[in-house]
Amino acid sequence: MTKKIFYGIFVASVLTFAACLVLILGVLYNYFDKQLIEDLHTQGHMIAAAVETGSGACLEELGTLDNRLTWVGPDGEVLYDNQADSSAMENHLDREEIAEAMESGQGESERYSETLSQKTVYYAIRLADNSVIRLADTRSTVWNLLFGMIQPLLMILTIAIILSAVLASRISKSIVRPINAINLEAPDVEGNYDEISPLLLKINRQNEQIKHQMEELRRQREEFRLITENMSEGFLVIDRKTELLSYNSAALRLLGSGPVEGTPSVLMLNRSESFRQAVETALAGEHCEHSMTLDGSIYHVIANPVSRDGETAGAVIVILDCTERELRDQMRREFTSNVSHELKTPLTSIYGVSEMIAGGIVKPEDIPSFARNIHAESGRLITLIEDIIKLSQLDENLVPSDPVPVDLFETAASVVKRLRSQADARGIQMELTGGSAIVHGIPNLLDEMIYNLCDNAIKYNKDGGRVRISVENGEHPTVTVSDTGIGIPREHQPRVFERFYRADKSHSKKIGGTGLGLSIVKHAAAYHGAAVSLESTEGEGTTVTVRF
Amino acid sequence: MRSKFDEQLEYLNVELIKMGALCEEAISSAIKALLDDDREMSRKARDTDREIDQKERDIEALCLKLLLQQQPVARDLRVISSALKMISDMERIGDQAADIAEITSFIIGSNAQGRIHLRDMALAAINMVTESIDSFVKKDMALAEHVIQADDVVDALFLKVKTELISLIQNDNGGTETYLDLLMIAKYLERIGDHATNIAEWVLFSITGKHAES
Repeated sequence: MTKKIFYGIFVASVLTFAACLVLILGVLYNYFDKQLIEDLHTQGHMIAAAVETGSGACLEELGTLDNRLTWVGPDGEVLYDNQADSSAMENHLDREEIAEAMESGQGESERYSETLSQKTVYYAIRLADNSVIRLADTRSTVWNLLFGMIQPLLMILTIAIILSAVLASRISKSIVRPINAINLEAPDVEGNYDEISPLLLKINRQNEQIKHQMEELRRQREEFRLITENMSEGFLVIDRKTELLSYNSAALRLLGSGPVEGTPSVLMLNRSESFRQAVETALAGEHCEHSMTLDGSIYHVIANPVSRDGETAGAVIVILDCTERELRDQMRREFTSNVSHELKTPLTSIYGVSEMIAGGIVKPEDIPSFARNIHAESGRLITLIEDIIKLSQLDENLVPSDPVPVDLFETAASVVKRLRSQADARGIQMELTGGSAIVHGIPNLLDEMIYNLCDNAIKYNKDGGRVRISVENGEHPTVTVSDTGIGIPREHQPRVFERFYRADKSHSKKIGGTGLGLSIVKHAAAYHGAAVSLESTEGEGTTVTVRF
Repeated sequence: MRSKFDEQLEYLNVELIKMGALCEEAISSAIKALLDDDREMSRKARDTDREIDQKERDIEALCLKLLLQQQPVARDLRVISSALKMISDMERIGDQAADIAEITSFIIGSNAQGRIHLRDMALAAINMVTESIDSFVKKDMALAEHVIQADDVVDALFLKVKTELISLIQNDNGGTETYLDLLMIAKYLERIGDHATNIAEWVLFSITGKHAES
């Protein structure tokens, strides 16, 4: 803009100046021309007067005159010429100016001389003797005069051009400065040109609008981000070329990918077969659900095509972590099969023995021992079923009574009393330390819990071992049962609280038990809001701590 | 706005990832077939190999088209030329997986494969393939170098398996044919390791412009 204004001003001033110059030169030309002719006239009259008074002799003296002087006799013969040989010149009677002078006393004409290639102005005066004095001057003198002036004129022109350039540059800058100084973020409408104030007003309004919309967009994005980031499900949006448009961190975590940059292909995050198939099916325009196993976790991938104008423009993929659900399902299946197995073993034995008795192939004296067998097996069945009932009650939170204050120490003491004979049979010492600790709970559940722990400590002990039970009071009452038994191998430790889980399957028959003991402990503890922790070293013993 | 060329390069990248994933699938199916006596997996490995062959032709055509039409220079040229080299390595991995699957169908029923270190070797080879594809996907130079080093592990395992097989053959004449088949499988796995190394080298080349001296 500055440039344009600069050129505008500059060209206009230069043009104006040049035009002025041309006009002045024109006026000057006219003036000089007139001056020339006037000079010619005055000279002519003076010479005529001189010649009339002093006859032809004075002409010689005038021969030094700049202008050409010709004296023509009445018959047209050239009597004198100061610049040419008069005798060699032709008759001049037919020359326009001379003819005119002969007729009217004075004559004037202008001719273009081919020989000199310039215009010549002639002036002739008839003298009293009818001879004619003619003066001639070339127009070039006018041009010479003008040319003589050109040099200073050019200098003036140059100065003027420089001056106008400087001025134009200054003016244009000063015009543009306020426009340049406009702060587009918040234009000051008042202090500027009136012509652009509507524009500034509009910019102001639009700035406001843009700010508002940006804020709105930002808010929406933030909302969306908050929603997706707080989802535990992975969420991915991809376009037709499998490029990632949007994702949440859960998706990256579930797919086991690090942070991503730019818009990479979703296949960069994960390229396992089922995931790829899900992506491809969705991009082919069909809904797709897949299960996917990745690093031991089980994911459910749901891919939905996104269509725009009847065409698949991309896909939305949701990834659910269903490892836990799958594991629960698996545990339930295992539990069912375990229960049926555990129930079937004693029943088979009962069935077999009773069949033998019914068939009468058992000697009467053996019947009591067979009956004891049946009795033992059915006892086992009853214990098992009781355990299962207790567990399912705990599962369903169907514990019948209300919590009452229970002294853990007393409970432990009663348990020790009941188990004493069992321990003595194997030469195991039982020690109870600590003092009374009162918790609010269900007495028979707590009893069951401590009983199971002590029972295990005896069962899985070495002969002549020791079981130490300590009850401590405090902010968190704790019951600790430690033994000097066989211990639990590290790889089994996380699973011993599962139902029917046995660290050593070959021992289970010999030792007995249902495999539900620790499971009941866990559930009972959970019911009372207590934490169970287990420490064990294989071959040295196990310590179970219940912390209320 | 991205140019069409960039889009095509991205497409090439995605196709390479897909082909790499297919390779991983082929070899893991073949190994499953080998270790778990699974005939279904053996068939799947061979199907995947056919898919890999098709993918190789597609990517090759795409690369040639890019080279001819776009006349890439510098980095783009490196990416495309290393893609051309990589797909032939990937294709070989697919072929070898299919070969393993085929041999597997002869030795199913014998339990000799469990007695030698073939499982370790197979897992090491799969790991190399996965890591080489990963290094390509993530443009991870450190991972690529790790793959190149891991080749020594697979080579060492091959020698170990070979010695084990020799002693097995000396002690048990009945199963010689099976043992030879197992030796072939071990050799294929060793070759797969080499191809994974090649892929890793091409990854390094496409990033740095220098091809590792081998």
